[in-house]
Amino acid sequence: MASSSTPIEDTIRQKITTALQPSTLKIYNDSHLHAHHKAMEDSTSSETHFRVIITSDAFQSKMQPARHRLVYGLLKEEMAREGGIHALQLRTMTPEEEKRRKEQEAPAENAK
Amino acid sequence: MSAIKEIMSLDGWTQHVSSLPPSALLIVSFYAPWAAPCAQMATVLSTLASEYPVTEPLSTSWVSVNAEDLSDISEAYNVTAVPFLVLIRNGQVLELVSGNSAVKVRNAIESHATQPARSGSATGGQAANGDAATVEKSSTELTPEEAEKQKEDLFKRLSDLVKAAPVMLFMKGTPSEPKCGFSRQLVAILRENAVKYGFFNILADDEVRQGLKEFADWPTFPQLWVDGELVGGLDIVKEELASNADFFSAYSAKASGDNSAAPS
Repeated sequence: MASSSTPIEDTIRQKITTALQPSTLKIYNDSHLHAHHKAMEDSTSSETHFRVIITSDAFQSKMQPARHRLVYGLLKEEMAREGGIHALQLRTMTPEEEKRRKEQEAPAENAK
Repeated sequence: MSAIKEIMSLDGWTQHVSSLPPSALLIVSFYAPWAAPCAQMATVLSTLASEYPVTEPLSTSWVSVNAEDLSDISEAYNVTAVPFLVLIRNGQVLELVSGNSAVKVRNAIESHATQPARSGSATGGQAANGDAATVEKSSTELTPEEAEKQKEDLFKRLSDLVKAAPVMLFMKGTPSEPKCGFSRQLVAILRENAVKYGFFNILADDEVRQGLKEFADWPTFPQLWVDGELVGGLDIVKEELASNADFFSAYSAKASGDNSAAPS
């Protein structure tokens, strides 16, 4: 494959997939929403802010902070490095939680 | 470990001042209970005070004065705005610090205290603030034991700081002037839920900023702590509220009808 224009997103996808075998993995690059912020003034990267949704059995019996730490741990280098990931928003669910959430959202859909 | 004593009356003030040895540094914090920046200053001062040992004879004395209730005292020192810090030794005013810069307050106190909290720590946090990725170390050479001790002291300070209020928000900026979108959103959520909370501006103290990342094993800010435990950042708080709308009800001002609670 030719060199990617989204190396950080690729790394996120690869590391999470390998470590957590997620049944759902969605990565949203929100960098453009923050590009004009003062904190991003000197940034040249277009891969600074990400929102990631992960469903995995690896999150069973873990509270939210522990789940987030698991993911942060995988991306430690990318988050610590200059010009790397500046912000990472996570939604971490187990398969049961994902199912329950879809059911909660479904009635609203049916009411339309 | 020193603590801040609240002065309740003009007599109490006179009595306290006359009981101090001439060498003691008297640190007076003027506040108003309705002013949000005073809550942060109280947090900053109590953690700072805890780093100073109680000595015999007393080397530092820390007091707080309600500037409106005890107007005789606040007028004597020309206190026109809060928070306001006055440093006095042997009746002589050494320095005044107006406003809520934790950095200025810490520097002023450290420069006048004859017995510093930790040797070689006076420059910590101010010396090399260019590289935000490294934990601040003193500019003097530290032996491994000293470095270990300094870290222990920092962690002790942080462990007190996260418990400074039942709900503590470590954010970028202040509730009235957030410096980051996620911090701003979290402040809004706390306000919507009428939560009473203490806040700490991590942009004003690099030692806490880097130390807390290690202490909490959490790389990002804002961080919300409840009852001394890390809840998480904006994303986790939103999730918790989505699954439980009463997540904050135990900490909200609604029950008591106290409308001076949430800082704006």
